[in-house]
Amino acid sequence: MLKIFRQSLNYGWRRLCSRRIYLVSCVVVPILFAFFFMDLMKEGLPLKVPVSVVDQDHSSLSRRVVRNLGASELIDVAHTDETYADALARLRKGETFGFFIIPHDFQKDALSGIGTTITYYSDMTVFVPGSLAYKGFKTAAVTTAGGVVQTTLVSTGINENVAGTLLQPVVIAEQGIGNPWLNYSIYLCNSFIPGVVALMVMLMTCFTICEEIKNGTSIEWLRMSGGSMLCAVLGKLVPQAIIFSIIGVGLQAVMYTMVHFPMNCPAWHMIIAMILLVIGSQGLALVIVCAIPNLRLSVSIASLTGILAFSIAAYSFPVQSMYGAIGIFSYILPPRYYFLIYADQALNGIALYYSRWYYIALLLFPLAGMVGLRRLKKHCLNPVYVP
Amino acid sequence: MNSGNGILGWFKSVARVWAREFRLVFGDMGVMVFFFILPLGYPVIYTLIYNTEVIRDLPIAVVDHSRTPESRELARMVDATSALEIYDYCPDIPSARRLSNEKKVFGVLEIPADYAKKVGRGEQTQVTYYADMSLLLRYRAALGALTDVQLSLGDNIRGETIDNLGIIAESIEGDTISNDAVFTGDPTQGFASFIIPGIIVLILQQSMVLGITMIAGGVSERRRRNHGYDPLSVDAPAGATLIGKTLCYLVCYVPMTLYVLHLVPMMFSLPHVGNIWHSFMFILPMLLASAMLGQFIAVFVTERESSMLVVVFTSVVFLFLSGLTWPRYAMSPFWTLVSDAIPATWGVEGFIRINSNGATLAEESHPYVMLWMLTGIYFVVAYVLHRISFGGKKTESYGSVSKI
Repeated sequence: MLKIFRQSLNYGWRRLCSRRIYLVSCVVVPILFAFFFMDLMKEGLPLKVPVSVVDQDHSSLSRRVVRNLGASELIDVAHTDETYADALARLRKGETFGFFIIPHDFQKDALSGIGTTITYYSDMTVFVPGSLAYKGFKTAAVTTAGGVVQTTLVSTGINENVAGTLLQPVVIAEQGIGNPWLNYSIYLCNSFIPGVVALMVMLMTCFTICEEIKNGTSIEWLRMSGGSMLCAVLGKLVPQAIIFSIIGVGLQAVMYTMVHFPMNCPAWHMIIAMILLVIGSQGLALVIVCAIPNLRLSVSIASLTGILAFSIAAYSFPVQSMYGAIGIFSYILPPRYYFLIYADQALNGIALYYSRWYYIALLLFPLAGMVGLRRLKKHCLNPVYVP
Repeated sequence: MNSGNGILGWFKSVARVWAREFRLVFGDMGVMVFFFILPLGYPVIYTLIYNTEVIRDLPIAVVDHSRTPESRELARMVDATSALEIYDYCPDIPSARRLSNEKKVFGVLEIPADYAKKVGRGEQTQVTYYADMSLLLRYRAALGALTDVQLSLGDNIRGETIDNLGIIAESIEGDTISNDAVFTGDPTQGFASFIIPGIIVLILQQSMVLGITMIAGGVSERRRRNHGYDPLSVDAPAGATLIGKTLCYLVCYVPMTLYVLHLVPMMFSLPHVGNIWHSFMFILPMLLASAMLGQFIAVFVTERESSMLVVVFTSVVFLFLSGLTWPRYAMSPFWTLVSDAIPATWGVEGFIRINSNGATLAEESHPYVMLWMLTGIYFVVAYVLHRISFGGKKTESYGSVSKI
């Protein structure tokens, strides 16, 4: 038995080393992607959003507001425009992500108490810079209004300190746990890099198994494993699991030790999660292969699910806010569980107890994959390729 | 079969390549999936995923150390926001943490013991909100709601204090300088309204490239089986081949583009304020550039399926390179250059502005020109590679050779 397994394993390794495309998919793609991702967002936040200012007042107060805007780290007052139309045209051209309008008679109306309105436009077609521009504008507008109120209060005889606290009697301070810098790299790399590993695992599993059927070598493959489908599948998938796990854990090592992403749990919690993610994705891919043992269709379905996983596994939009009928699909995707483990363990550093079900769920995928092995065996014995 | 000489002959070869490519596309289920089913289905699936648009009633816990009418008022105001909902009141932080660990709440609001005292004395008081950071969208929702609460609470308290002091000053009480925030492109700040207009453009490019590489894989498999000849290919000059094929893909994508760029935003009430003809005019060079890019990649493809292994993951890469998530001004020069070379980058950039911000084609002249340039560059590269790889052995149409 052991001899047959070793023979099957040898076959698996030989096939894995036989084609360049395997090396590219297993090793080059995940590493390249991880490098791309970590390097792209290494700044953490895309600060200094280019915006423009329309100052129609040209008074000392309006110039102070513009200076305040310029001092913000969030925005960069790259342009000044004369009219609303100019500023809007610039925004449509994509030169800016927002503009800030100081109306005519701003100083006069503000100081005399007539009242005036600052209007600011943020371009939400691109979320992150739009939000940052909004935040920068709002801070400037609120502090400007506060400054005027404070001046008036002090001039009526109120102590300067009291006047200061009256501007903001209650402050709600937000503490982002684990990622107080709102670092996008930490937020996205931790979900998308394992996501790509899972995608490639699924594609490779479907491709390598169905390729045997397409090329008509599946009979030889089964023969090498003593006719046992389980043994054949293990012989093929274990070498891939080893390679992907090494790559995945290596990428974790880069993220948590070299780039210093938050890691608030013992390392083995995440290492096991990565290995289980690899095995779980193989299990899910095996379910697909057993259901549709056709190279093109199963690889297509694996890629469609793998790509949709980035959305349904809720890396950006929470499952709790999706329609229920869509949200439940996130629970048939291994990357979802890895993501939950990451949030619990590496990010929040809570007790392993709270993540127990996620580990168990990842373990269930390979079991699910074994259900259809008999069907797969039938197809392997009668390899028919339908292009 | 000779394609004849001169201009007329050239046009004839283009037409024959075009017609043959149609047969290849419609005779191949795999290509049909990429060319038609994928652009039909994906926009709907993606929109359904994100169609709830915003986070409502995010459950949070409140730890109220103050236990006064003032602190309860604060909690009520937080509860009344559309983004947040108080799931439970906890006696202390550890019990709130337990709720958070069990994923029952995604944030904890801690009100200090001296909250009411400080408010009454006219001192500044600080309330802390601990946010779960696994998803930045949750943090963003909570931040917006809490900022509004902070501002309106501040107005209330200031008004009361000033009244108590007996000062009559309009300029203090009212909003001497009020502020008005306008959001362009996505006025509700919904997630689907933001991401779908970009994603649908990317879907057009990626589905086309995947389909083209699959056709090329089929060609190369047939050629291997038939000693270097593809019985289904047409003997034509490289330029005519490229253009004929491109025409075929373009015709296939006309109905798809109408559906993806016009019907999908209409079906789901996504932002769709731009002139649809400007969108179509704009997207034309993107389709051409994608077709050329696909035919450039196709030269390296030897098998129907293996290209998927490498092409699929680029969808994620291209999404990020397009600047939809991480803006292009914050990219390093190297990545900017890489993203410049992708048709979808310019397609996404221009289309979202035309579609969501109502820009005109003239205002998007920069991405538009870039798309035509990419079309030209990829045509030349594909032409040269085509000449190198197929130039030596002209393919001919054999009726008798196996077509598999």
